[in-house]
Amino acid sequence: MERIDQLLKAKIPCEETGITIKHTICDICSPSFHCGVDAYVKDGTVIKIEGTKGHPMNDGLLCTKGLSNRQYIYRKDRIRTPLKRIGKRGEGNFEPITWDEAYKICAERLLGWKEKEGADRVLFFGGYTKWFRPWLHRFAFSFGTENYATESSTCYTSGLMAWEIATGKPAKGDMAHCGVFLGWAFNPYHSRYLGGKKADEAKKRGVKFIIVDPRVTPAVEKLADIHLRPRGGTDGALALGMANILIQNGWIDKEYIDRYVHGFDAFARYAAGFHEGNLEALTGVPYEQAVEACRMIHECGPMAINESSAPLAHHRNGMQNYRAIMALSAITGNYDRVGGQQPADHTYIHQCSGFLTREKEFLEAVRPAGAKKPVGAERFPLWYALEGEAQATDMARQILEEKPYPIRALFALGLNLRMLPDTEQVVKALEKLDFFVDTDLFLTDAAKYADIVLPACSSFERGEFKTYPGGYAVYTNPVIEPLGEAKSDAQILCELAGVMGLEDDLLKSGYEDSIRYMIQDLSVTVEELKANPLPTLVPERTPYKAGGYVRQGLCTKSGKFELDSCLIKEHPEWGLDSLPTYREPLSQAGEALYPFTLCAGARIPNAIHSRLHEVPWVRSLRPYPTADIAEEDAAKLGICDGDPIEIFTDRGSIHVKAHPTARVLPGMVHMYHGYREANVNGLLNGDHLDPYSGFPAYRSSRCGIRKEGSTDEADS
Amino acid sequence: MKLTLDLDLKKCTSCGACAIACMDQNDIDVERGIRPFRTVFDWENKTGGTGRKFIHISIACMHCTDAPCVLACPSACISKDKETNLTVFDNTNCIGCHSCAMACPFGIPSFGEEGKMQKCDGCAVRVKNGMEPACVRACPVQALKLVDIDAENSQTEGASLQKLGKEILEFQT
Repeated sequence: MERIDQLLKAKIPCEETGITIKHTICDICSPSFHCGVDAYVKDGTVIKIEGTKGHPMNDGLLCTKGLSNRQYIYRKDRIRTPLKRIGKRGEGNFEPITWDEAYKICAERLLGWKEKEGADRVLFFGGYTKWFRPWLHRFAFSFGTENYATESSTCYTSGLMAWEIATGKPAKGDMAHCGVFLGWAFNPYHSRYLGGKKADEAKKRGVKFIIVDPRVTPAVEKLADIHLRPRGGTDGALALGMANILIQNGWIDKEYIDRYVHGFDAFARYAAGFHEGNLEALTGVPYEQAVEACRMIHECGPMAINESSAPLAHHRNGMQNYRAIMALSAITGNYDRVGGQQPADHTYIHQCSGFLTREKEFLEAVRPAGAKKPVGAERFPLWYALEGEAQATDMARQILEEKPYPIRALFALGLNLRMLPDTEQVVKALEKLDFFVDTDLFLTDAAKYADIVLPACSSFERGEFKTYPGGYAVYTNPVIEPLGEAKSDAQILCELAGVMGLEDDLLKSGYEDSIRYMIQDLSVTVEELKANPLPTLVPERTPYKAGGYVRQGLCTKSGKFELDSCLIKEHPEWGLDSLPTYREPLSQAGEALYPFTLCAGARIPNAIHSRLHEVPWVRSLRPYPTADIAEEDAAKLGICDGDPIEIFTDRGSIHVKAHPTARVLPGMVHMYHGYREANVNGLLNGDHLDPYSGFPAYRSSRCGIRKEGSTDEADS
Repeated sequence: MKLTLDLDLKKCTSCGACAIACMDQNDIDVERGIRPFRTVFDWENKTGGTGRKFIHISIACMHCTDAPCVLACPSACISKDKETNLTVFDNTNCIGCHSCAMACPFGIPSFGEEGKMQKCDGCAVRVKNGMEPACVRACPVQALKLVDIDAENSQTEGASLQKLGKEILEFQT
């Protein structure tokens, strides 16, 4: 082979090959990552990618999912032009139209409903990839409604609310300086890989790891000094039992509690109900193991605790469980200290970077006065009190029942109809809408129900502002031209605001001007950030000051860490408990028919929701929708590895392959979500929700399983 | 310099990142049934006895020092790269006889749609241009390493796949 052919085949970036490396970011998963990407570009096309070395987030690394970016951005079902539906809803028949036509139709229909019945008749929804949220939110406000919902209605926010209730702001575990890490629902190797790197470093330093997980995960194999295996959704009982052990043994920080903790006595009295006599029965965890873990917490501190966006929150008791876990940090004096749980402020789109932007002002400046309470506010009052936005898990119900008022139109970016439980209900709601716009990279099954579909571009095709932990900010430049006529989501919103004549000059002036507004207090400019291919250290960053927040007084009603919530206590009409009380994750009904606990969404390394199921490279690692079940259960039901099985609930059934494994507990079925041909979220009851957060109980619902072709007593 | 790829079995988590990096580097068309040159296993040892173990392996060409495939190929397609000692190939003259696959103790060589052999070449051209093999560059837990077997302290700390491979071969012969 000629030298030049060798170089081209190996994709060596150099003058001879014409391959250049350009920097962008991955936005396949959450904005809490968005790792730096080196795109190998030849003739305007990405031919290979790698992680960016020297990037403060990922320093050259990428995960399984991020490495599939090239196939992701060039997925065959990328939408190239705006589309107008010509067939029935859901059929997928569209005709291409121009941007001008698309904007005109959107403007007429949305403004039409606003004029006829009011702005609140329109709901705005933001799904993945979340980067556009400030613009969508501001658009909804300037349009005149608080009806703005996001996919964070089922992810992250429950944990955030728990922290807001207790301390008034988010908090993060300081793994870099802890002595013991309480890794509750912690398996970063397959979901948050950069956490895995930090955990490996901590392990090397001698940090003790307590992993709490019903599964035996790589984190258990590599890290666990103690592994506690509670049954799914019983985490709250275990945490309360551990609190009781810590209190009974005097392994608590009394001085800290006296000064900085509110409601300790009531909490201690309640926790006393979880003891040697009932802990194992409630959770499956032997009492002695819990004592051993508590001794380790006492002897090896300071203790940092894993924060959990999904696994702990996805139970009908999820937020209360999480509050109980975080209470362990307060009673041991590990909140707001080096090596403990540290308060932080969101800098930009949920990223805590150590400096502030005017993201909040960008929204609050235009919050509409006199708007109706948004979707879900009545049903989930704590959610609305803390988040001030719509709770999407109540969206389908309100559209169908028209109570407390009808929703006529939905303007969505990246709506995934399999994100919510009871998909059938969601589809019915989408069918009922008078007008539905969806914006996405791909013609998803949700987009097929839309009247107008707008083509969004990927992070490779746009320039964007972004902040990172440690005081960094970046403004990327596009590395390729947008595919077809695709535009950035933010550009679409700013342009549509112009066509609609919204009274919002800043929004109409575009994305870049909005960023200039938000970073006006910083000494870095958009131009400087754009000129630096890597993130820039922002001079305004302030380092963490241990104990500063508790000493100054917390942003809670009591000024202390609230184990007993004053906010909830003030609202008895909500029917919620001010203490982190525990109730069983499963309802008793249906136990005979559906004896298994279905955990939908336990992470696998090659998927994130449905976004990568259609990307051949990552899909090839695990081609078939597969359920992990315990070997004992498999043996009882005559199921072998790879056998086709049926998972069923009162909502229906799905057909998947079985993977009997010692990794999961008997009685539990772990099934990943988002598959078109095996949609596990469609099996879930849309009303099996956490009354505190509105979050669905994805990780604990009743189900049955049977081998395909076998008859089951449950059938007869 | 005698380079080879090694894996620390204790660090690997079977996440598959290396396989995706291999696909991206080599334009692997999985939709047409082509496999990457690196395969990842997430095994459970169910033989009982000393208890259960979970085993994570990512395996590709082991770049053996005395590579049997080199001698087995009647068309002289496979060779040891002089500069790096990686086992490289040019399949222009491959007749698809599978002799290399028969000779390989690890069953590495695979055959594309045209019946011609293909396998991991350790990204030899990248290595010669001062870059790491794609899989090594990608491994998020740094389990995969490009190692010089002549250098002192070349042994992978922990559990080396190369070492295990040698033991298996010795056991077989």
